[in-house]
Amino acid sequence: MVAELRRRLDEAEETLRAIQEGEVDALVVRPSDRQEEVFTLEGGTASYHAFMEAMDLGAAAFDSKSRLLYANKTLRELFNLGVGIVQTADLQDALDDKSRETVTGLIRQAGEAKRTAEIRLVGGPQDLHLQVTAAPLRIGLDTGLAVTFTDITARVRGAAAEASERAAHSIIASANEAVVVCDLDGIVTHANAAVAGIYSGNPIGKRFEDVIPLVLLDTTGLLRASDLVALAVGGASVQGIEATAPEAPRVKDLLMSAAPLRVGSDKASGCVITMVDLSQRKAAEKQQLLLMGELDHRVKNTLALVLSISKRTASTEDTVQGFQSAFSGRIQALAATHNLLADRSWSSISVSEVIAAEIEPFIGQSQSRLQLEGVDALITPRAAIALGLVVHELATNAVKYGALSVEQGKVQVRVSLQEGEDFMRMDWLEVAGPKVAPPTRKGFGQTVITRSMQYMQNGGAELEYAPDGVRCSIRVPIEDVVNA
Amino acid sequence: MENTEAIGEPLKLVLYIAGQTPKSVAAIENLERICASTPGRYAVEVIDLKASPQLAREHNIVAIPTLVRQLPVPIRKIIGDLSDKEKVLVHLKIGN
Repeated sequence: MVAELRRRLDEAEETLRAIQEGEVDALVVRPSDRQEEVFTLEGGTASYHAFMEAMDLGAAAFDSKSRLLYANKTLRELFNLGVGIVQTADLQDALDDKSRETVTGLIRQAGEAKRTAEIRLVGGPQDLHLQVTAAPLRIGLDTGLAVTFTDITARVRGAAAEASERAAHSIIASANEAVVVCDLDGIVTHANAAVAGIYSGNPIGKRFEDVIPLVLLDTTGLLRASDLVALAVGGASVQGIEATAPEAPRVKDLLMSAAPLRVGSDKASGCVITMVDLSQRKAAEKQQLLLMGELDHRVKNTLALVLSISKRTASTEDTVQGFQSAFSGRIQALAATHNLLADRSWSSISVSEVIAAEIEPFIGQSQSRLQLEGVDALITPRAAIALGLVVHELATNAVKYGALSVEQGKVQVRVSLQEGEDFMRMDWLEVAGPKVAPPTRKGFGQTVITRSMQYMQNGGAELEYAPDGVRCSIRVPIEDVVNA
Repeated sequence: MENTEAIGEPLKLVLYIAGQTPKSVAAIENLERICASTPGRYAVEVIDLKASPQLAREHNIVAIPTLVRQLPVPIRKIIGDLSDKEKVLVHLKIGN
């Protein structure tokens, strides 16, 4: 009994000491007529709880040791914390590692002054962006921290949407392709700078088909510019349609694509039409077609020529060796002119070049045996091939029987253009060779010389077997003389 | 060698608090830390007198927070936020 009394006395003393030393902050009071009541000391908590509940942003109070004292209803809802007592760990568990680090750091620093940071809560139906502010707070006898969580998701989203809209605008503006945006009625609402190549005025507010009167190719006239817009607005995507804009200031050949414009919802709110400049590609295609036609034409001509050379050589040569030598010589002559022409991309070449290329196999680089005089005119490939064959036959003949068959013999070539004449004249003159006698029979070589230039009326050649040297007068049609 | 006190029946503790007053919150956290250092040694019950004040009667609680060692008898009371861990451990020791 005494022990029990002593224990109760000890307890009362301990209670008193604890109250005096501030180790308790609530007391249980038992009024005689009523049930027990709990009074919190200083009355602080109740008032700040009420204040925090009145706030429409998430609010929490921490003590000086960073322990959570109280979390208001908005905060509990924000973090899905339930209705019961919220402890520090519950709040920490509701945050991911990064946010927890941010909030912990903020609370640690806020003892000195107010601090603010932003965190992101992921995992819910949508990401939440929160602005967290921590500031010193006096709670009862202690100092603590007030921490508020403001939902700024809408603001962050708005800023993101604005940035993305700006990005979209600059993408359209900086695209190389002409980009036109139309509304549901086909009225142009946006157009980038590249559209200026197709339409010189301001297209905004006008109907698409009025701005750019297109002729769509390969669509048998059934599809029109307005149909493109209608298709795209209706939700269909159209790609790679070639079109021409005959009235466009610069870009007339276009590759069109049209797609529905969807902003946010599934339903199209207009359409986006892009137009790629095909002018360069079209020009290249035309050039290529032209070249292919030209190549085809030349190959056919050359084959016909080779065939005729082969046939005529065979009819005038008596032995296989003779045929082989004459035929390969003529084909090589043809090839020499071809090589020259190929080097010049089949444009015109000079007469001197043709002569030099044909005579070189017989006299080498020796300049002294060939004298070239007069004008050096440029002639067309057609004339060059014929002239090449003629010079080859003259040189062959000169090497076999004429001036080039003896050491001191020479060939003089004079090119002249007389005003009023419809040809360019080229004279071949052999000097210091053996005495010339006319051949006993007419070979193919002679035919080549006299007939090669006769592809036009004003072209041709006369061969003369003068005793002191072969003379040949060749007329190149003036039409094939490009530049003298 | 295992501490013999660690193996027997867990000590039954009751912590009386008053809602979320700073001392109540501190007491809960301090007690959790003490329990965590020797898992299985303590069975703790937390009673919120703010919600049900009449429960103060059983252990004749006056000041909050108060920790009561209910079992084994005799009952021991520790008043305050339990921040002095050594003092708490001494009070909880059996046979004290």
